[in-house]
Amino acid sequence: MTITGEVGAWNARGNAAPAVVARGLTKVYGQGDAAVHALRGVDVSFETGAFTAIMGPSGSGKSTLMHCLAGLDAVSGGKVHIGDVELTGLNDKQLTLLRRERIGFIFQAFNLLPTLTAEQNIRLPLEISGRKADQDLFDRVVETVGLRDRLGHKPTELSGGQQQRVAVARALISKPQVIFADEPTGNLDSRSGAEVLSFLRTSVRELGQTIVMVTHDPVAASYADRVIFLRDGLLVSELMRPSPQSVLDTLMKLEA
Amino acid sequence: MLKTTLAGLRAHKLRLLLTSLAIMLGVGFIAGTFVLTDTIEAGFRQKFAAAADKIDVVVLPAEDGGREQQAVGAELLEKVRGVEGVADAQGIVRGTAALIGKDGKAVGDYPTSAVSIPDGRLNRTEITGGAAPKSAAEAVLDENTAKTRGFAVGDRITVLDSKNVKHEFTLVGLFDVGVDQALAYSGAVGFTTDTAMKMSGEKDFREIDVAAAEGVTAETLRASVAAAVGARGEVKTGAKHAEELAAANGADTKMLTLGLLLFGLVAMFVAALVIYNTFNILVAQRTREMALLRCIGATRRQVFGSIVLESAVVGLISSVLGLLTGLGLGAGALAVIGRTGLDVPTDGVALAPRTVAIGMVLGIVVTIAAALLPARAATRVAPIAALRSQVEEQTFRTGVVRVVFAGLFLLAGVGATVLGVTQEPGEAALFTVMGGGALTFLAVLILGPVLVKPLSAFVGWLPGRLFGVPGRLAVDNSQRNPKRSATTTVALTIGVTLMTLISVLTATLRVTYNAKLDEQFPVDYLVASQGDQGALPRALAEDLRTRPELASVVALRAASAKIGGNGEFEVGTFTAAADFTPKADTGSFGDLKPGTVALADYVVKDLKAEVGDTIAVKTTEDGTVRLKVVATFLGENALLPEVTVPEQDFDRYFGPLGDGQIIANVKDGVAEESARKAVEAAAQPYPTAKVASSTEIRGEFDEALDMMLMIITGLLGLAILISLLGIANTLSLSVHERTRESALLRALGLTRPQLRRMLSVEALVLGIIGALVGVALGAVFGWAATTTMTTGVVFQLPIPQILAFVALSGLAGVVAAVLPARRAARASIVGSLASG
Ligand SMILES: Nc1ncnc2c1ncn2[C@@H]1O[C@H](COP(=O)(O)OP(=O)(O)O)[C@@H](O)[C@H]1O
Ligand SMILES: [Mg+2]
Repeated sequence: MTITGEVGAWNARGNAAPAVVARGLTKVYGQGDAAVHALRGVDVSFETGAFTAIMGPSGSGKSTLMHCLAGLDAVSGGKVHIGDVELTGLNDKQLTLLRRERIGFIFQAFNLLPTLTAEQNIRLPLEISGRKADQDLFDRVVETVGLRDRLGHKPTELSGGQQQRVAVARALISKPQVIFADEPTGNLDSRSGAEVLSFLRTSVRELGQTIVMVTHDPVAASYADRVIFLRDGLLVSELMRPSPQSVLDTLMKLEA
Repeated sequence: MLKTTLAGLRAHKLRLLLTSLAIMLGVGFIAGTFVLTDTIEAGFRQKFAAAADKIDVVVLPAEDGGREQQAVGAELLEKVRGVEGVADAQGIVRGTAALIGKDGKAVGDYPTSAVSIPDGRLNRTEITGGAAPKSAAEAVLDENTAKTRGFAVGDRITVLDSKNVKHEFTLVGLFDVGVDQALAYSGAVGFTTDTAMKMSGEKDFREIDVAAAEGVTAETLRASVAAAVGARGEVKTGAKHAEELAAANGADTKMLTLGLLLFGLVAMFVAALVIYNTFNILVAQRTREMALLRCIGATRRQVFGSIVLESAVVGLISSVLGLLTGLGLGAGALAVIGRTGLDVPTDGVALAPRTVAIGMVLGIVVTIAAALLPARAATRVAPIAALRSQVEEQTFRTGVVRVVFAGLFLLAGVGATVLGVTQEPGEAALFTVMGGGALTFLAVLILGPVLVKPLSAFVGWLPGRLFGVPGRLAVDNSQRNPKRSATTTVALTIGVTLMTLISVLTATLRVTYNAKLDEQFPVDYLVASQGDQGALPRALAEDLRTRPELASVVALRAASAKIGGNGEFEVGTFTAAADFTPKADTGSFGDLKPGTVALADYVVKDLKAEVGDTIAVKTTEDGTVRLKVVATFLGENALLPEVTVPEQDFDRYFGPLGDGQIIANVKDGVAEESARKAVEAAAQPYPTAKVASSTEIRGEFDEALDMMLMIITGLLGLAILISLLGIANTLSLSVHERTRESALLRALGLTRPQLRRMLSVEALVLGIIGALVGVALGAVFGWAATTTMTTGVVFQLPIPQILAFVALSGLAGVVAAVLPARRAARASIVGSLASG
């Protein structure tokens, strides 16, 4: 397998190969009577340089799908490709190295190590993989998320919105092939949330970053280029260039 | 509330177990001490009682207050035999008579004891093979001596009498010395009563054992014997005598108990620190749980109660387990002691009610006491904390109170230590230094959280560089909760401090002792007589002087004499030899002419006589002589008698006595082998002349020191083991606390080995911090303690050992981290992200 080498199709928007592809993805938790079929055969692909939102009612399998796509959790069936690498069949070490090199994460909460400063947190993925940060990129990212004067602060000294912006900067800095975000604005007030979302969209537009975001908020989803809808572990609908209203309508239809 | 607590405890069985282990080991050690000493004591009491069973009444020499005793002689024995109601009475003889080994030399460092074996029902000695001696040509040996010296029943044995004349006996039997430690130590030859008196030269009996006639009670007999003996002897019933002997023996076991308990208390203290830390962490982690309880209406008192209750349950369980451990430890120790050939009773190992009570109370009280502060912290949790999403990082700020207190303790500690060091060596100085050490330790304990940060930055510098991101994160983690890290490491510090202290003391003693041997005079061989002073014929020294292998031979002889009104001193002389000039402290040995004397420094102090003064010595042959002091010398460095007179004078004062010791130096270039042969050949005709070389003497001293070091290390090992449990416990709780953090790191690409390494490095840093502080304290106070012991101390820092302590502490920390690290690395990322 080759997971080293030139990372991602940087800035290759448009008709490049999809960044992430899942085929016939299934995930079962537990066994026998207690088995929960969280994913029942999902086929989906995420274009490089696109911002995709995953939506669906609570318990529909959004987080599970994201975890399987990101190699955080083993799939029960089907295949996942990140770029040209097939995840299924990789061992823990290989998966770790893949995440290190090709994937960025933004979680809903607890994104930052409390012992490190904002800057150290941002640089952490690069340090772990022993790569040098591109100083231009670092400056650009820090500028974009507006953290210049907060770099020396510890997470406890930052507001929730600022913490999430640090997380966004951290995800961007290693130029991953894809960033997975699980409800990144779930804990934020609407103003901070809007800020974080616009940074995500900017990074897609200007840096050509590929982002997959799980959310249950129609407004958050409307920042994406495309929204896919899950229900009971199945992909049930899809929406291009969504608006809050169109997302809401689709959700209503699904829940009806 | 009770139900909630118990449910919580059940839900965390593993955590409970780890916490309990610390207390369990502490209680186990203490209970084990009692089990061990109880068993030994009970065994001795039983043996004494069994021996006393045969005797109804004993007559002992009357104590007249001072050291002089009224003799219990043959005449008194006849008188006792004549008392109405006496069936039999036997005098017991105890003296010395040197057994000659197969090599023609007297066996052992001390002459063997000579004992009488009476026949009839009053024989208390247990003959284990062959028969008791019946005639003047027969003797028996104690089993152990027979075995080690290779004698068997039927052999001929040679024994020296008190005049060093050889006598041959037929070995007719073997006997067991029983509880008599003195006999066990020296070895013993048994004879008929008359022969025992002849051989040992004793004129009197050690005691007279009396058996009552049919129908006479011991008490009645005691009264009638006492009437006959009057003031010449002390008369007791056998049972009472046995009881007193057992009690005296018990005093020895008490010392053992006390010594062991001291180590047990150190272990308990370390365990208390571990418990305190554990509960503190638990309270911090359960902030939300507590807050929730408060939200739904629990009072502060209830929250406090629930923590205390939890600690009580932990204390109860671990004390019970500790008692069981103690039972095992006690039995194990007895087995080990039995293995070394010492005769200790091993039957009836049991937990006495006293042991159970002490163990339970100590275990429970220490656990609860250690949990009180954390419980109080728990009551401070505001209900609102339940609503916060993330447990707050504990921030630590160096408080003024802390610094002031630490400063005061440090000042007092340093002050006391300086005072102790500058004092005259002696017990007072040692205790002052110990006090200073304790105060300084308290200062370090208080200051711990402040010290952790700079120390971990220092210790973590290298790992941070070597292990990349995991290393740096580990160093950060070790500093993030200074109080927790401090308590964790202080537990280890205690053990390492004591360990370093002991090794500094032994290393210094070793070097000092050797330096003193060298400085005084480089003796190659020392010939000394076994037993009595002055038992080496002067011909021996003469013979040695003719040997070409030897450069110089000096004979030392001494007698004891009263000086002025100051009691007995050892007055002696040395024979002149070419290259032997003793070093004088004041005055000069050159002035040691007839009618003069040289004194050891401590005698100078006793007599208050300086150079130029005159002292009065009461001699045996020349009446009281007045001698002028011309020199003083350092007594503890010299082999010289403490009061040294010229050679010719000595013979005039005390007659032509034999030599006490002969020191001989080997000529340059003569091989060790041939020198030794020469000395041994010269000594061969004299069975009691024992040859020792300086290397042997040093070797014996070294061995004794090594033995002591080993035993103390073993005993301190427990405290260290407990502190390692503390590190493991702290780490596993921290791992638990940082579950989401670890998951985040894993998601960001930290591999499992890297995560494990991160925790190992954290433990390494903690271990080394603890060790460094301990080593520093131990070295400083070890040095301070050595200055209080004797003058002329050659301080020695055992650097390899100290480095080993630091390295081993680090390694032990890493070992303690193995399980927590594995658990952290195994955790699923997704599951951990969701938790909390
Ligand atoms: N570790 C797990 N064990 C068992 N069932 C799980 C686990 N994680 C998620 N599930 C179940 O899988 C389904 C999908 O969960 P999830 O992906 O978290 O949904 P969403 O993120 O859309 O709310 C749910 O029914 C949930 O209960
Ligand atoms: Mg979810």
